[in-house]
Amino acid sequence: MKRKMLAARLDLADKILDIAAHRGTLYDYVNDILEQAIRAEDLGLSLKDILDNMWMIKTARDAGFIVVPEKIVYDLTEISSKRVGKEKMAAIWYETGQWYGHYYGDPKKLETAVKTYFWDVSEVKISEEGTNVAVTCLSSKFSVTYTVMFSKFLEGALNALGYSLSQNEVSKGIINLKFVKSSDK
Amino acid sequence: MPEPDLKKQKLIRAPNYLVDRLSEDASRQGKTLYSYVSEIFEQAARANEMKRSLKEILDIFEILEVPREAGAIYAHKDFLDYLLQKTFSEQGEELQRLWYHTGKWYGTYLGERFEKPLEIFLRLLQEGRWDLSEVTMNRDKGIVEFRCVSAFASQERSLLLQSFMEGALHSLGYRTQEKKCFKGIIRLKFSV
Repeated sequence: MKRKMLAARLDLADKILDIAAHRGTLYDYVNDILEQAIRAEDLGLSLKDILDNMWMIKTARDAGFIVVPEKIVYDLTEISSKRVGKEKMAAIWYETGQWYGHYYGDPKKLETAVKTYFWDVSEVKISEEGTNVAVTCLSSKFSVTYTVMFSKFLEGALNALGYSLSQNEVSKGIINLKFVKSSDK
Repeated sequence: MPEPDLKKQKLIRAPNYLVDRLSEDASRQGKTLYSYVSEIFEQAARANEMKRSLKEILDIFEILEVPREAGAIYAHKDFLDYLLQKTFSEQGEELQRLWYHTGKWYGTYLGERFEKPLEIFLRLLQEGRWDLSEVTMNRDKGIVEFRCVSAFASQERSLLLQSFMEGALHSLGYRTQEKKCFKGIIRLKFSV
């Protein structure tokens, strides 16, 4: 097979050389790496995108998330709301949100996490302007109950980040929340 | 981009066809081949730090795209367990039916989408964040046996996962021969 020479940054090439030493020959290892880069490109992504995604998935697992078919979560929310009561359910969602607010510690990181983990949310935007934060969240899949619960989740998360709810508009699949920085934070 | 310092680079041999393809990709992205290759090596080193090869990471990534396409979402296990604990005693049968039917839909989806749906289902259980520490599947003369272990799954969640698995396998043409479930340990045997 005809071969060409590839130039690579010395420190990285040395690292690859080290790794290859535990995995077989350098030539085979480099071929494999380059093939995977092409495979990623064919998926329309960069290797960095894929590794970032895998890292987020690992973080999700470490944070106690599991992947569940969405129908189960939606139906369970409806059943539980009737069984436990909407107020109690809202309190649980709020408390769960608080945990995530503390976990991510920053509105932008929270926005990234919601975008990454809540695949059923078609649009989410958390924008900060001075001491105010506006949250917009849209999903065509949410029921009325689920939308209310999810808004409580977001409220809890923002509250943990030091913001108090000043205005809310919640209707099926649409959440618009406004917050102000709490004076005691 | 500044010209790389020749003293700070190393030449590595690779097949023509790969170098040509990478050159095309790099120029399409407006990068030099040198910087593109450096990026690739950087990610390979990162994968190694995650104790995986790039191939393994791409394989897992492709598998994990399935739940996203099939309409699954992340839920916190404590939250899910709380809801199940509150509802299972009165609505356990309805929940089991719900999980079973969702499993059936999932199995049908995998059957339509993949040539080897059973293998994909196994990978999904292994990699799909069901909170399982061990998932094995044995196939022998038309018999398929699953064993799943989780140290943390409640009895309610284990029973529901069992229903989900049964639903998926039934839609793939298997019949339940035997099932056992005890707090995070699920054993299911199916025949064609």
